[in-house]
Amino acid sequence: MWSYLADIAAGSALNLWIAETYWLWPVMEIIHFMGLTLLLGGLIVIDLRMAGHLRLLSATSVHQLLPLVIMGFILNLITGVLFFYGDPGRYSINIGFQIKMILVLIAGCNALLYHWRVSPLMHNLATGDDTPLLAKCTGYTSLTLWFGVLLAGRLIPYVGTG
Amino acid sequence: MLSYLENTDIALWVGESYYAYPALLAFHIVGLATVVGIYAMRDLKVLGLFPALSLEPFVVLNRLALCGFLINAVSGLLLFSSQASYLATSVPFLSKLSCITVAMILATTIQKSLKIEFESSNHGEAVVSAQLRAMSAASLAAWTGAIIAGRLIAYIF
Repeated sequence: MWSYLADIAAGSALNLWIAETYWLWPVMEIIHFMGLTLLLGGLIVIDLRMAGHLRLLSATSVHQLLPLVIMGFILNLITGVLFFYGDPGRYSINIGFQIKMILVLIAGCNALLYHWRVSPLMHNLATGDDTPLLAKCTGYTSLTLWFGVLLAGRLIPYVGTG
Repeated sequence: MLSYLENTDIALWVGESYYAYPALLAFHIVGLATVVGIYAMRDLKVLGLFPALSLEPFVVLNRLALCGFLINAVSGLLLFSSQASYLATSVPFLSKLSCITVAMILATTIQKSLKIEFESSNHGEAVVSAQLRAMSAASLAAWTGAIIAGRLIAYIF
């Protein structure tokens, strides 16, 4: 699949523009880092509350952080696609990148589980209430996956091509 | 002194080991997400975002943010040691350190005033003073600056 996508990207106008614009890469990296800060910062608070910590927060009030988390994700999705377009030959065969994408996919499924199954359970919870076991599992899974995404992403320049 | 640091066993290990540098970078990004992520959420809350969210848990989260900072201080020092004399005159590196210094002074001050606020007003909604808002805005700017300068270390001298 990745080599198919790399073939589409390679030689395209976008690919050439990114490869030739020397200032673009660092700018995209800066945006990617700010995006990850918003994504992880918001999730730390949301997921810890889901896991039953920070009980001074009402379980529903942490939902207000979600737009910011989603904004961080969108920023990183856009810059991420541009990274891939800028250097498709390198990313498509990189094991760190492939692991990162699988982790993002699983984290996405976990977020859907949260949306459909866990979020309704949280609506009745007040400040100080403990959370159900399913919420705890989803919260810890989310944090583990996203920190895994962070590690796999950071190691892309250093790991081999699989 | 910088060349002495560069020639310590640990600095040579960071520079020469196949695993040390990427492993330290991995720690550094985990610490970054933790410390900047938590402080950014707290600053945005102080500035009026997330009206339903209570500010008080951020007093507790400060400890986690400090753990992130500690991870980055240690991993950062080790990363620095392998290229000390180069980094000591690098403009982006020095800008990054200045931003972090300002941000951590602000973080300590904000934490202190939040603690006082919540000790005096039992679990109530905190009164956010203009001064606290200004400090939070400055903190956000300082962390943003630290991220920009940090990334640029790899690109400009």
